[in-house]
Amino acid sequence: MILGSASLLLFFIIYLSTGQVKLGFVESMEALYGYLTKLGQPTTELTTAEMIVGEIRLPRAIAVIGVGMGLSVAGAIMQAMIRNPLVDPYITGVSSGAALGATMVMLFGITAIGFGVFAIPVAAFIGAIAAFLITMTLAEASGGRALNYVLAGIVTGTALTSFVTLMLSMSPDQVQGPIFWMFGSFNGIDWTQALLIIIPTMIMGIVALLYARELNVILLGHEQAYQLGIDSRRFRQWMMVLSSMLTAVAVAFVGIIGFLGLIVPHIARIMVGGDHRLLLPASIIIGANVLLVADIISRTITGSELPVGAIISLIGAPFFGYLLVRKGREYAG
Amino acid sequence: MPAEGMLIRIEDVEFSYEAAHTLDGVRFEARPGEFLGLIGPNGSGKTTLLRCINGLLKPQRGAIFLEGKQVSKMKLAEIAQVCAGVPTDIPDDFNISVEEYVYLGRYPHIQNLWWEEKEDEEQVEKAIECFELEHLRRRKLFEVSSGEKERVLLAKAVVQEPKIMLVDEPSAHLDLKFKLEVMERLHELSRQGITVIVASHDINLLIKYCDRVIIMKEGHIVKCGSPHDVMTAELIRDVYEVEAVVMKVDGEIYAVPKRPLKEGEKGCASKTR
Repeated sequence: MILGSASLLLFFIIYLSTGQVKLGFVESMEALYGYLTKLGQPTTELTTAEMIVGEIRLPRAIAVIGVGMGLSVAGAIMQAMIRNPLVDPYITGVSSGAALGATMVMLFGITAIGFGVFAIPVAAFIGAIAAFLITMTLAEASGGRALNYVLAGIVTGTALTSFVTLMLSMSPDQVQGPIFWMFGSFNGIDWTQALLIIIPTMIMGIVALLYARELNVILLGHEQAYQLGIDSRRFRQWMMVLSSMLTAVAVAFVGIIGFLGLIVPHIARIMVGGDHRLLLPASIIIGANVLLVADIISRTITGSELPVGAIISLIGAPFFGYLLVRKGREYAG
Repeated sequence: MPAEGMLIRIEDVEFSYEAAHTLDGVRFEARPGEFLGLIGPNGSGKTTLLRCINGLLKPQRGAIFLEGKQVSKMKLAEIAQVCAGVPTDIPDDFNISVEEYVYLGRYPHIQNLWWEEKEDEEQVEKAIECFELEHLRRRKLFEVSSGEKERVLLAKAVVQEPKIMLVDEPSAHLDLKFKLEVMERLHELSRQGITVIVASHDINLLIKYCDRVIIMKEGHIVKCGSPHDVMTAELIRDVYEVEAVVMKVDGEIYAVPKRPLKEGEKGCASKTR
């Protein structure tokens, strides 16, 4: 845990000193210091380096950390709820809903609704929540068991994705924006967006931590949880809402970052075991670390930006395979 | 008339899934420390009855009382403090260790938000010692054998400090020795004052250890009493539609099944009910 926090700090600093504009390490730290001491003064006072580090890289790093935490916790919760370790936070169709919302704004430019630059995040967020509500309604109507959620999520996700596909194929000249959004990117995150990601994520993350013990009990299945005094159906609904909100916040601002919410809880489980009182904090820290590294790579490996979701999968999959082979024997899920 | 000192009282309980009646007019009482066996063919309502007792299912008619309190009016947490369920099997996906699993049994008693208290630790240590789990403590659940699993399940139920233990088919995956061992342990627990209700297909295990057996068929209680009084070849023929011999060896009775009844013979068997 201490190791994780230390590496987080390290990656955070590296993050601030990398990017498309070349700034040395010392230069970046000086700029950060300069930026922090000039807080509250008008931005016109800042040097170029201070602008880059303070107004571009710092909020972006914070957003990366927030999204990394949020998706990882959401994944860990979702895996416990569905009682299946192959589940990711998008299982309830939130990503498809968000994609639909974002695509509608990008193609038809529904910016007139008054949210200005926030039109896409707001539409994506609404789409994500709407998709989750459809999934939840279907799942509860069909019995409210874990499997019902998986099936309802797949149905909802597939339906919404086909809408997106139809819309894209009807406007072939505008495909690039939505496609890029769907890969997930932290490009252009400003302070407002960063705070809108990190604050709700932190709050919901703490709420999730308070339920760590209940999450352990839920692993035993509906009947045994019930016998230990937890109304597991009610609890599952509530946890589904929580993890979908976490996912929706992340997806709304940065698009779909796949694989992270699936793989991070696994890595955490291999490292600290299945007890959620350790697993959730570990997921939070590992998630933030992994996404920071991935975003550093996506910004530096070529001249232009690469989709961070693809980077995650690229480094995540072999690493996961390695862990699986090394520790697979002592690891059931 | 409500009898004094009854731990469990079940009054005319009726329960049905969608169409079919699974429990109909079930009534019995159990004293503290009594060891009860539920006998009956598949679908006779044994598991449903157990689920009604711990509030997992709500009977449409009738009422169930634990320590004089009606189950339908108790909170889940209250029920969990009185009544522990021992399932047939442990889920072994998600890598939880044996120790962590036993700790989960403390859940109904834990007050604070995060870590266990000293008392929880003591209870768990006691159970680990009592059920000889020391060497398995750090093992993952999927690494322990079926016989060991049964002991893990019992340890978890015991740290729950229940007054009632509901055990569903404890011997399904076990060989002869472990079957007897589990029953010995349950019997021991009942002598310590816990009311134990075991549902099982292994008639001989139940009649060997139980104070009373309750024989069920199609949601009714057919007979209820001490095994020596109620176990007869006619009863088995009637309930299971199997021809059997009930014999006495060294003062203990055993039921030995011979053959299933043929179509024509069943009619007269159920008439005697």
